[in-house]
Amino acid sequence: MFEILVSLLALAIGAGFVGALSGLGGGVFIVPALVIGAHMPMTVAIGASLISVVATSAGASVAFVRDGWTNLKVAMVLECATVTGAVTGAYLAGVIPTVILELLFALMMLQSAYFSLRKQGDDIIEHGDPLAKKLDLMGEVPDEGGRTIHYEIVHVPGGAALMVVAGLMSGLLGIGSGALKVMAMDYIMHIPLKVSSATSNFMIGVTAGAGALVFLARGDVATVIAAPVALGVTAGALLGSRILPYANVRWLRLGFVVILLLIAVEMGWRALSGI
Amino acid sequence: MSKSAEHSPKFEHTAQSADEDRILRVWTPLLLRTILVVATIILLGGLVLMGTHSPGFYAQRYHIIQGGHVHEKQTFVELLQSAVEGDPHSVMTVGLFVLTLVPLARVAFCFLLFIKERDFAYVGFTAYVLAGLVFGMLLGRIG
Repeated sequence: MFEILVSLLALAIGAGFVGALSGLGGGVFIVPALVIGAHMPMTVAIGASLISVVATSAGASVAFVRDGWTNLKVAMVLECATVTGAVTGAYLAGVIPTVILELLFALMMLQSAYFSLRKQGDDIIEHGDPLAKKLDLMGEVPDEGGRTIHYEIVHVPGGAALMVVAGLMSGLLGIGSGALKVMAMDYIMHIPLKVSSATSNFMIGVTAGAGALVFLARGDVATVIAAPVALGVTAGALLGSRILPYANVRWLRLGFVVILLLIAVEMGWRALSGI
Repeated sequence: MSKSAEHSPKFEHTAQSADEDRILRVWTPLLLRTILVVATIILLGGLVLMGTHSPGFYAQRYHIIQGGHVHEKQTFVELLQSAVEGDPHSVMTVGLFVLTLVPLARVAFCFLLFIKERDFAYVGFTAYVLAGLVFGMLLGRIG
């Protein structure tokens, strides 16, 4: 009994730790850890992961909120999109074949790898589009010199459309979809990266929570798996966030990209060999 | 559009209202504390479960789940009743439910805040999110 529980906890702590260090969140790593490492069915892994993502995002959002970068109104508007996607995705996860879930997971790993390697830079907008102005979507963020910069927002419908996809992937695959959320805000809506990251984290709890509720209500959350996994991932994430300030981020990022590509290959292989 | 455009600290539009700022700064740490309390209850439930069941129980349950049989479907009333009666497995399941509902409670507080501010566009957005969560639960029950 103890060997199984200890190995499950070790997988969860490791996934939470790597998720926090990479900034990609525990979900990206706990689902493959459970499917590949613990031979769990995909839906069990997704259900346990969604609850872990809710728990860890609460811990991380405290630090982001303290720094004052979270934009509450942007989060509220875009949560309409992510919750729509998450509920749909979590419903579909119960009915579509595992092969498709594995294939989608492999694709999301490639997107996360691209996200980790892409060039990062802010492109701050001074004048937002009329819809963003009407919804009062704007804010202030300190630059590197500590001066306050006012930013406005464009392409709200385009950003919301990508947020529906982010929510869909979250509910379907049990991940926080932070990489897609940040891309929607940063690339499409031109929200500064720090604000995008903080607001994305704020939204992840609600997105994953929406998906988790569908899984819980359907009875697809195995308590004896989800409970230790949620506790382990949270503990690992807290440990990872403590170590992060002392880590060599550039080398770590390359290491994570290799891990993500390996997961993509393994999940893709599982999907293709299962067809 | 320009890179890192700088402005004076005085802006035409404020970034967040005092109430919005309070939601972020007060509720977020409060939610974290609630999650830590719930996590502790889940942990205690797990310890009681292990203490009261035979050593083979966990391994047996683990292998059944590996085989794809989860079977955790109870009505909410049944689940709450058995949790109140002290069944550790039900206490843990209720704990997972509460853990999931905690960030969603923040949306409900935002809904009330926007009603107070009479900001009806945002009352609509938060109401939509809350309705989506209720719909998701119903969908899970049916699906």
